[in-house]
Amino acid sequence: MLCFVALFVFGALSVFSAKYRPLAARAFDCAARKITLRPCQTGLDDEIRAASIAGIMRISPPAAAFANRHFEALSVIFTLIFFASMIVALQGIANFAVYGNCNGPEGGFCIYSGLQNPAFLKTPKTSEGIVAGNLSSGITVVEFGCYICPYTKEAEEGVQRLLENYASRVAFVYKPFPLAAHKNSFEAAIAASCAGEEGKYWEYRKMLFANQSWFAQEGERAFKQAARKLNLTGFDRCYDERLVENKINATLQEGKECGIYGTPTFFVNGKAFVGQRAAEEAEAEIRRLLAEGRA
Amino acid sequence: MDAAKIRQDFPALQKSKAIYFDNACTTLKPKQVIEAQRIYYEELAGCAGRSSHSIAKKTTERFEESRRKVAKFIGCLENEVVWTKNATEALNLAVRSFDYSKRRKIVTTRLEHHSLLLPIMEMRRKEGLEIGFLPLGADGALDEEKAADAIDSKTALVAIHCATNTTGLRCPVEKIAKIAHERGAAVLVDGAQAVPHFKIDFRKMGADFLAFSGHKMLGPTGIGCLIGKADALENLETFLVGGETVEQVDIERAVFLPPPKKFEAGIQNYAGAIGMAAACEYLAKIGMENVERHEQRLAERLLEAIASVPGSTLYGAKTHKGRCALASFNIKSIKPHQVALMCDSLSGIALRSGVFCAQPAMSLLGAPQGAVRASLYIYNTEEEIGIFGETLEKISKIA
Repeated sequence: MLCFVALFVFGALSVFSAKYRPLAARAFDCAARKITLRPCQTGLDDEIRAASIAGIMRISPPAAAFANRHFEALSVIFTLIFFASMIVALQGIANFAVYGNCNGPEGGFCIYSGLQNPAFLKTPKTSEGIVAGNLSSGITVVEFGCYICPYTKEAEEGVQRLLENYASRVAFVYKPFPLAAHKNSFEAAIAASCAGEEGKYWEYRKMLFANQSWFAQEGERAFKQAARKLNLTGFDRCYDERLVENKINATLQEGKECGIYGTPTFFVNGKAFVGQRAAEEAEAEIRRLLAEGRA
Repeated sequence: MDAAKIRQDFPALQKSKAIYFDNACTTLKPKQVIEAQRIYYEELAGCAGRSSHSIAKKTTERFEESRRKVAKFIGCLENEVVWTKNATEALNLAVRSFDYSKRRKIVTTRLEHHSLLLPIMEMRRKEGLEIGFLPLGADGALDEEKAADAIDSKTALVAIHCATNTTGLRCPVEKIAKIAHERGAAVLVDGAQAVPHFKIDFRKMGADFLAFSGHKMLGPTGIGCLIGKADALENLETFLVGGETVEQVDIERAVFLPPPKKFEAGIQNYAGAIGMAAACEYLAKIGMENVERHEQRLAERLLEAIASVPGSTLYGAKTHKGRCALASFNIKSIKPHQVALMCDSLSGIALRSGVFCAQPAMSLLGAPQGAVRASLYIYNTEEEIGIFGETLEKISKIA
């Protein structure tokens, strides 16, 4: 069974190096024979088996004995896992190329994002966005977030705790960075800013994160319904005429210039933290700075 | 004989820690052989017996000197040495060029290497010759008492091994040759696995033809010999013909040179011949009796090591006496290729696995799917056999 894995691996390597082509040819012959229920004649299956068992034997002879006795069954399991993993990985790469996230339009944790290093992010220069806390503090926390992003939502509890515990000692700036991968994310950013125009930003934000998937699904109807609950009289006009669109575009552009590749992204005095645990990491950094007497 | 000292002559053993147990396939080469070949390419490099310039003369001199050295090593006259590219070609030459006009039967054994068996089978297919087989015991040993019955008045040629490449056991060639000659048949001996390992005297052996390869006896690849009694060679038909095989040619007919030139068509493998002569000199210096004694000791240890592995099956007779340090075996139900590959991977031991170009022989011995073969030579040691035994024991536990 491992001939199929070998065919895939050596076939891929053959594209880049001719020395793998004879191996790929042997693997192809072996795989073709396996499909037609004939024994492999190139000896590649024996070589793979011997190399595998010898490798295991160096670590654990009993494990080698077990692997040898159940080699065919283990090979089938390994082959199935290998190809299932390949399908998921290729799907993830395709999603990453199209949506910027390996989970597709739904978003979520994406391992490929780890390929991008927070150390290379540029520090935002402006204070454009929603501002809170002590603006004269020596510590500034900037969050780039998307109201429809599940990870921004997960980080929200940390953000609220941060505002509660450090409001007098830290300046906080939220910069909307709606991700195109999330449905109605730009509209959500406009809606929140419109609420902010009437002094109800934080209340509206709380509603957005509390019912994130509903807002994502329903869009305008949901945004306006939420506004009515907060008695926002100018909301519909602000939303319909997109009066705050320039502000959203400005923070979006700033985020792109900073190299933001995922939300939420936090900057604590220029030091960046990205992903699910970014709020906790940002808080730890705040504590460290406060201990140094930077506030 | 000091194997440790001998090992110093082999660059391949200095460069690698591998345990080389595949000598029945081909041996490693000592620096003396490598140097002899280098001399041809760097200092001679002409063609022998054709041109008259000094380089050609020197080449001719060295080439014919090599023939004399091989003749001395094997105990024959220099004009009884025909250069071939290997033992396979030598066997093909003898079998295919032999005169079957009066007798139409070849007698052989089921233990033969394909290099001897296939030319015989081809003669049956093309010329309608009959094949007879000498009787063998279950362990592959020749039944000497019944052997005489298989060789009859129709037998033109008895073609047998001197030592098999599957078990390393020797065949009583002298006795068979005597019986064959009594019945008027000629004898061809495949000496590929014997000449490198035992003291062979062509005259005492009593055969008419003896074939062997250079590369299995420390020499270069691409060179071998057919040794033939002068009159036996004279009676062989031409095989490959061309430049240097003829005395005179007109458009109607060619007059061929006497043997051995009659069979040496075209430019010869001069470097190979010089290298093979150097290998003969190297072995002669050690002494073939010493080589044989060393191998007997190794064979005894080798068989002990294999026998001590749980679930091992040794093919052929279990005695170490009168055999090369060679053994074919299997371990439980583990595929022979897997055993060989794991020995290489775990301990760097080079073994051969499969049917060793002797499929009927392996079927006869009870291993139609093949076996693992360990074949040792002058540079192998008992310490290496110890590592080999330990490795086999580890492998036996996975089944």
